[in-house]
Amino acid sequence: MALHRRLAALWRNLLHRQGAERELDAELESYVAMLAEERERAGMSAGDARRSALIEAGGLEQVKEDVRDVRAGVLIDTIAQDIRYGARMLVKSPGFTIAAVIALALGIGATTAILSVVDAVLLRPLPYEHPDRLVVILHHGTDPVAPANFLDWREQSKSFAAMSAAEYWTPNLTGADKSEKLWALKLTTDMLPMLGVHPLMGRVFAADEGEPGRDHEVVLGYGLWQRRFAGNAKIVGTEVTLNGEAYTVVGVMPGTFRFAPFWATKSELWVPMSLASQSTQRGGNSLRIFAQLAAGVSLAQARADIAAITARLRQEYPGTNGDVRVVPLKDRVVGDVRPALLVLLGAVAFVLLIACANVAHMLLARAAARQREIAVRTALGASRSRIVRQLLTESVLLGALGGVVGLALAALGIRVLVALGPSSLPRVETIGLDGRVLLFTLAVSLLTGVGFGLVPAMQASVLNLSESFKEGGRAGSEGVRRNRLRSMLMASELALALVLLIGAGLMIRTFVALQQIDPGFDPRGVLSMTVGVAGSAESAPGRRGPFYQQMLERVRALAGVRSASAINHLPLAGDTWGWAYWIEGQPLPKPGETPTAVYRVVMPGYFKTMGIPLQRGRDVHESDAMGAPRVIVINEQLAQRAWPGQNPIGHRISLQKPTSDSVWMTVVGVSKNARQEDWAAPAQAEVYLPVLQNRSYLEDDGAHVAYMTLVLRAGDDAAAFAPRVREAIWSIDRGVAVSEVQTMRQVVADATAGPWFYLLLLVVFASVALVLAAVGIYGVMSYAVTRRTHEIGIRLALGAKPSDVLRLVVGQGMGVALAGAGAGIIGALVLTRLMSGLLYGVRASDPVTFAGVTALLCAVAFAATLIPARRATRIDPIQAMKNE
Amino acid sequence: MPPTKTNLLQGTLDLLILKALSLGEMHGLGIARRVGQITKGAFDVKPGSLFPALHRMEEEGWLSSSWGESSNNRRAKYYRLTAAGKKQLKTEATHWGRIAVAMSLALKT
Repeated sequence: MALHRRLAALWRNLLHRQGAERELDAELESYVAMLAEERERAGMSAGDARRSALIEAGGLEQVKEDVRDVRAGVLIDTIAQDIRYGARMLVKSPGFTIAAVIALALGIGATTAILSVVDAVLLRPLPYEHPDRLVVILHHGTDPVAPANFLDWREQSKSFAAMSAAEYWTPNLTGADKSEKLWALKLTTDMLPMLGVHPLMGRVFAADEGEPGRDHEVVLGYGLWQRRFAGNAKIVGTEVTLNGEAYTVVGVMPGTFRFAPFWATKSELWVPMSLASQSTQRGGNSLRIFAQLAAGVSLAQARADIAAITARLRQEYPGTNGDVRVVPLKDRVVGDVRPALLVLLGAVAFVLLIACANVAHMLLARAAARQREIAVRTALGASRSRIVRQLLTESVLLGALGGVVGLALAALGIRVLVALGPSSLPRVETIGLDGRVLLFTLAVSLLTGVGFGLVPAMQASVLNLSESFKEGGRAGSEGVRRNRLRSMLMASELALALVLLIGAGLMIRTFVALQQIDPGFDPRGVLSMTVGVAGSAESAPGRRGPFYQQMLERVRALAGVRSASAINHLPLAGDTWGWAYWIEGQPLPKPGETPTAVYRVVMPGYFKTMGIPLQRGRDVHESDAMGAPRVIVINEQLAQRAWPGQNPIGHRISLQKPTSDSVWMTVVGVSKNARQEDWAAPAQAEVYLPVLQNRSYLEDDGAHVAYMTLVLRAGDDAAAFAPRVREAIWSIDRGVAVSEVQTMRQVVADATAGPWFYLLLLVVFASVALVLAAVGIYGVMSYAVTRRTHEIGIRLALGAKPSDVLRLVVGQGMGVALAGAGAGIIGALVLTRLMSGLLYGVRASDPVTFAGVTALLCAVAFAATLIPARRATRIDPIQAMKNE
Repeated sequence: MPPTKTNLLQGTLDLLILKALSLGEMHGLGIARRVGQITKGAFDVKPGSLFPALHRMEEEGWLSSSWGESSNNRRAKYYRLTAAGKKQLKTEATHWGRIAVAMSLALKT
């Protein structure tokens, strides 16, 4: 009842304010009239009676104000009033408003954009069932596992609700018009149920599928289904041809489904896998193991469980089960980018803080200019809290405006981020503005409004009334406290900007260092593409070798092609297989310590085509074919490791454990080290075998040996050769799949895209910070000069030279700037250590960067101080004092 | 004991207004006069505290108001107790009574 009445009162007060006001007027008027009548009856004259009644009523306006204050909704009312008033004040000084909104929008926009990336990539749970309980079990936490080991772990462990394996597969989708090499995964049948993702159509694999004879079934990804099958609603139950064999489509996954999340991320079809035939295979490591912790089992327990099992297996099968790690799936997915993203988040937070500091001292200066207005309001009875509330409303309004513009910037920024983001950035497809991010932006906008507004508002509301009136609009001497506050804001802006600039500087040095890495090959004018024979007539044993040779002949015959060759896995872009090797005449290594080399298989002329210099010996020749003596080319790294200080040419290597009938290959060439998997990683030992002597590559069934990567050297316009080269290949057989057409320049650019992306962002943020800081210093110094016009005028009148004035103003500004720079250097020393993982070839405390960037910042600060200082020297003393 | 200026606590003023109106509906000046009467002049209610109190109490739902004619044919706003107001008067009177007894006991010893 009471609530109902209060709501009714609120309604009336807010919507019928004028009615309520009129009624109050009438009520008080009748009160005064009756009081006057009473006085008249007591013998006063009519005039006196009315006057005394009014005096007794004690100021009708005050009474009305008091009545208004007890009314329901008075708070809403004053807030609305404050907002209207604030908006009016902002409109009245558009220059200030626009500058503040731009600064805030930059800060809020950048923060929102980066936060939406961090949210999508780092914070959100993986889109599977029980995402927090999913782990991967891999050698060193990264490398694949042998089938027999997986089967033992699954059987012997007790910590997991489920454990499944995935294996990479690249089948050719044939039939229809053109063949296409696809990214796929073979999965043990319990994988998809463990992930708990339901198919859009059809079903996932049943437990007994994957057994030989029942393994030709396939679940399609949404993208592939749309692209190749036009979203055919009746696809389930039909057959598709993979590597020339018929597979039945049993289901289609929803568009949001991605698997696996950290490797083979482009997979868009999944087939069942049986490990029955490999149950004793402990050598070839090809499986990635995914498992779900049983409810209530901690990661530590699961680790102990796996550690115990692998220790036992190591005893039983020496040389296997080394360094097996259980890692949360999420860590495996985002672990590599987490530091970089957190650095970026820190950077945008700095930009936001600088923007806030900037707007804060704009507000301080404005508050000083508004002293008179505030004094008038105080004199009219506004309380201090009322003034603070009014000023805060204004700054929150500014924050909200900045938020709206910032949001637009963020929407734009996110698009750019997604477009530029390196392919190593996981879950990039989920990045976008959404409710969570919007809520954050709202909170940030309001908080920044309060953050930069509170101190100036508190300052402004403390003022000496009589002082303000006495001085009027005159430039009075500034309060020491306010001055100190302004200097602190300016110094902290500079300090924050310096930290950002140093971070950006370190990234630039990193990038330069990365650019100076010698790839070991000459990427200019080289085009590459993957050529898959699986499923075509060329796949047959006895056909593959001639096909590859014929392909190279036709490509070399194209006008403008200088040379052409092929390799199994392209450096930087392709897979890298580790392969154990043994050196003839050297003692056998201990079990588990056999060295490995990156395993490459090449066509003749590979080194010439790629521009990899040979230090000794020769390239692979056409004559290095079946029946000819087995030869091998090794890289410098292997030569130094196996034959330090000797010439390895003529020595022999085996890729099988030496026995009486081992195949020994004679080293015929030593190449310079070429980049392998990571751009910045040190070179590992590497072997190059002629394809034409490699039975596995010429005859084996497996999809992993049924393709080669064609490389050709043409002019600078290598990319333009793609259509002609493709036609040349298809002129032999249209069933061959050609994919991943890219220039080596692109490959190199992709390999360095991660650092480039972070560099770009940091440089953008640091530049914004520098501009904001420069504008801030300029603003503070201009304001200081304006406030001191009178004083400077007197100094000049008393004989100070313009150079003295210049020194005075610049000295004041640079004093603050240097203090800020000092704080910034200390901050940077602490903070840049957090980004040492992103750096290459430069230390986090690199003195050159620190000195250079600090000098740059001081120069900018000097320039920003000089302009107002020069203006100060031109002050006309007479004019300055006349204005008093 | 001579009447002295007493600082009216808000609760006291509310109670006095409720008590004054318990005798029938009244306009603002009438309430002020009646409070003076029943407290033998100890309380002189000024409009600055009277009207905010009346409006607040009306919004609380203890009072209702309507416009009417005064004895001198003047339009005036009349206040009367609602059922909630009568209940409030009873609660506050009891409460006040308890405080008064306790206070006088405390001051006697």
